[in-house]
Amino acid sequence: MRKLVWRNLLRNKRRTLLTVASLAVGVFLLCVLGALLQTFNPTETETSEKRVVVRHAVSLQFELPEAYWRRLETLDHVEAVSPLSWFGGIYKDTRPENFFPQFATDPKTLLEVFQGIEIDEAASEAWVTERRSFIAGRALAEKHGWRIGDEIFLKGEIYPVDLTLVLRGTFTYPDDLAQENQIFFHRDYVEEALGNPGMVGTYWLRLDRLESVPVVIEAAEAMFENSDARVKVETEQAFAASFSEMLGNVEFLFGAIGFAVIVSVFFITANTMAMAVRERNTEVSVLKTLGFGHLRIVGAVTAEATAIGLIGGSVGVLLAAALVRAAARALSTMFPLFSQMTLRPGVALLGLAAAVGLGVLSGFIPGQAMARRSVVAGLRKVA
Amino acid sequence: MSDPVVRIEDVSKVYGGDRLRVEVLSGMNLEVAGGDFVALMGPSGSGKTTLLNLIAAVDRPTSGRVIVAGQDTSQLNESALAPWRHRHIGYIFQLYNLIPVLTAYENVELPLTLSRLSSADRRAKVETALEVVSLTDRQDHYPRELSGGQEQRVAIARAIVTDPTVLLADEPTGDLDAESAEGVLRLMERLNTEFSKTIIMVTHDPRAASHAHRFLHLDKGKLWSDPEEVATNAGGEAPSPGEEE
Repeated sequence: MRKLVWRNLLRNKRRTLLTVASLAVGVFLLCVLGALLQTFNPTETETSEKRVVVRHAVSLQFELPEAYWRRLETLDHVEAVSPLSWFGGIYKDTRPENFFPQFATDPKTLLEVFQGIEIDEAASEAWVTERRSFIAGRALAEKHGWRIGDEIFLKGEIYPVDLTLVLRGTFTYPDDLAQENQIFFHRDYVEEALGNPGMVGTYWLRLDRLESVPVVIEAAEAMFENSDARVKVETEQAFAASFSEMLGNVEFLFGAIGFAVIVSVFFITANTMAMAVRERNTEVSVLKTLGFGHLRIVGAVTAEATAIGLIGGSVGVLLAAALVRAAARALSTMFPLFSQMTLRPGVALLGLAAAVGLGVLSGFIPGQAMARRSVVAGLRKVA
Repeated sequence: MSDPVVRIEDVSKVYGGDRLRVEVLSGMNLEVAGGDFVALMGPSGSGKTTLLNLIAAVDRPTSGRVIVAGQDTSQLNESALAPWRHRHIGYIFQLYNLIPVLTAYENVELPLTLSRLSSADRRAKVETALEVVSLTDRQDHYPRELSGGQEQRVAIARAIVTDPTVLLADEPTGDLDAESAEGVLRLMERLNTEFSKTIIMVTHDPRAASHAHRFLHLDKGKLWSDPEEVATNAGGEAPSPGEEE
């Protein structure tokens, strides 16, 4: 019977190929959408869960006073506070491949808040002590061919100053590969160049434990409630999600597209399988005459459709994995968020399960109908 | 005469509902002894194939009993009928009905995949069946690579490979040229004489029927053993054996 199932699969190669292709495309889209959704809603790591971000209550475009830094450090459960300001300068030119995030920060506290950053001790010391120095994620340094001691020039866009920085170290960030596509340098250097305005884009706080997050959020917001620059405090994940929210309800949109794709693929596959089974009306009657029972016939048809589902699903998952990997590599330099884009096993399994499920259903339903059909009716068709 | 392998008791078969009621078989009685070779003839629409389908238990009578190999088939549900057919019925179709994606060998092996035979035992049985029909050298050929006569011989091998109680043949030579038809009929005759197979063959060809030991004519839902009897009892002309079912 296995032989018959296999041969029937190859009976009409073009049709099988097209059915496999339609399923593969469906699963491919489902997986890519799933990967995108997860990219916009990154999972929290143990350390990121204990970090909160303090920003201006109105908008990220407004900065916070430098004085908030020390006040935030006085809050209970706060272990470290580091300022991060988006510099947004132009490196070489405005081509997307030369874009990367540039943050002015405090070297000492940055490494305390982001404990996942791994950097050579000597490099770290050199960076901390030299005001014009910067550190770069290893991926970014490799991309631009930067070596220790190299100078880069950043033309200020948001801030009216240009910077010349010296590379003193590269870092890795195993917990969050997106971080490896950016650079950090001294905010003191920028402040000095700007005439010491004493402003900071955001403050990042590392807390003692997860349970402290709501307490610190409430306390920090209350601390500046009556000040000129009220703050909004949120978890790192919520902060990241706020960027995807700018695109609207992406989750719903992607979910709806994914559902529509699956439904249409189901109808295509079910129709193709139904056609394939209908063509074998007489053969099924012959099998019944030979003594093949209801279960065997339904099983054979279902197995055939399931195999198509499995092959189509596997192809779709493999294609999606390849595309997601390529997209992550290509887009991460412009949009660091995409460096986290990966096809997670859960999404891949969901895609595969959907394809197999479609296969089972699209084989089982016409198979049942065929098995129930009268043998005489099936034989009469030709005889 | 040995015990009947097939016994049909007062069987009627009606198709359609109240408005379009067609009675194909009416109160039919028939006994076929083990080892018999029966030729069933009759005009188109006389119910020959219906009778064969009732014996094969792929169709059910409207009333009456069909007893094959001692089993009243109307007592069996569909799930019990499948293994019963596998054990007792070998069916040969007019259009061979081989599975096109399987080779001659695999087509013959197909019914045996339902049994618990080892692959070696299966192979032995398939090779024997192919030897009986003289197609050992074509066992790896697909149906499309065989002539009509060869296809029908593969179909016969498939029908006999399980050593069924009854062989039912529905116009087995209807789609063959005279030479191939003669070969198939000789083979069936040999199966009957050498292997004592009980055969019931539907045919409209008197030459085919001449290979059988017993002739039955079916007309207007009744069975007659002599064509003249049909004309006398049914008030019409004797059925022409040349008409197509």
